[in-house]
Amino acid sequence: MANVYLAVAIAEIAITVLLFVRLAIGPTISDRIVALNTMSTQAALAVLFFSAFAGRTIYLDVSLWLASFSYLGAIIWSRYLERGLL
Amino acid sequence: MREAVVIVLAVIGLGFSLSGALGILRMPDVYSRIQCSSKTITMGALPVLIALVVGTGPVSSYGSRALLVAVLLLVVNPASSHALARAAYKAGVPMWQGAITDEVRGLADSGPGSGSGEPGRHAPPASGEPGGQSPPASGEPGGQAPP
Repeated sequence: MANVYLAVAIAEIAITVLLFVRLAIGPTISDRIVALNTMSTQAALAVLFFSAFAGRTIYLDVSLWLASFSYLGAIIWSRYLERGLL
Repeated sequence: MREAVVIVLAVIGLGFSLSGALGILRMPDVYSRIQCSSKTITMGALPVLIALVVGTGPVSSYGSRALLVAVLLLVVNPASSHALARAAYKAGVPMWQGAITDEVRGLADSGPGSGSGEPGRHAPPASGEPGGQSPPASGEPGGQAPP
């Protein structure tokens, strides 16, 4: 069962590689923010499954933090895009 | 038996996540990419989390955290996607050339700014004021969006 968890974590990270391509070549800033937001979601899932694989509950807080505070990053970036720096 | 259920759910979720990432990579437009990022990624995340709940039990620390992450994603992901789409439209990011209609254009508080030339630039500050501003000269509704 632990191998299944590790395989899922590695697969999520492998999916993130596609998003790195979009993060690199994205024509506008919004494309990069979309890719970054999705990458944080995938990273939260990967950390969750890695904690289930390794049997360490301390990593669960990292996953919760990633899942909840990527939202704040997207909100703040969109606010700057919308209204400028002031 | 339980491991088979976990594997099936994880494969379903990973397939949706892979299709979502491919959509973000291949879609022609920032709004289409936001659609892939919102719906498909959430749909890909939920079966994977349910797989972890099935694998470890809903009252264990892993399963309860997985349920909490699922609820957070369901609440937070549509809100951030909506804010990103709204900011991209207001900053004047152009739509795809083959887009048929732009239904938000004639509305009062929806000006993409007069300077919609360079993608990713900020709108001029005057266009951010709500109300008190005449809507931009709207073409025929449902017409072809000018490039």
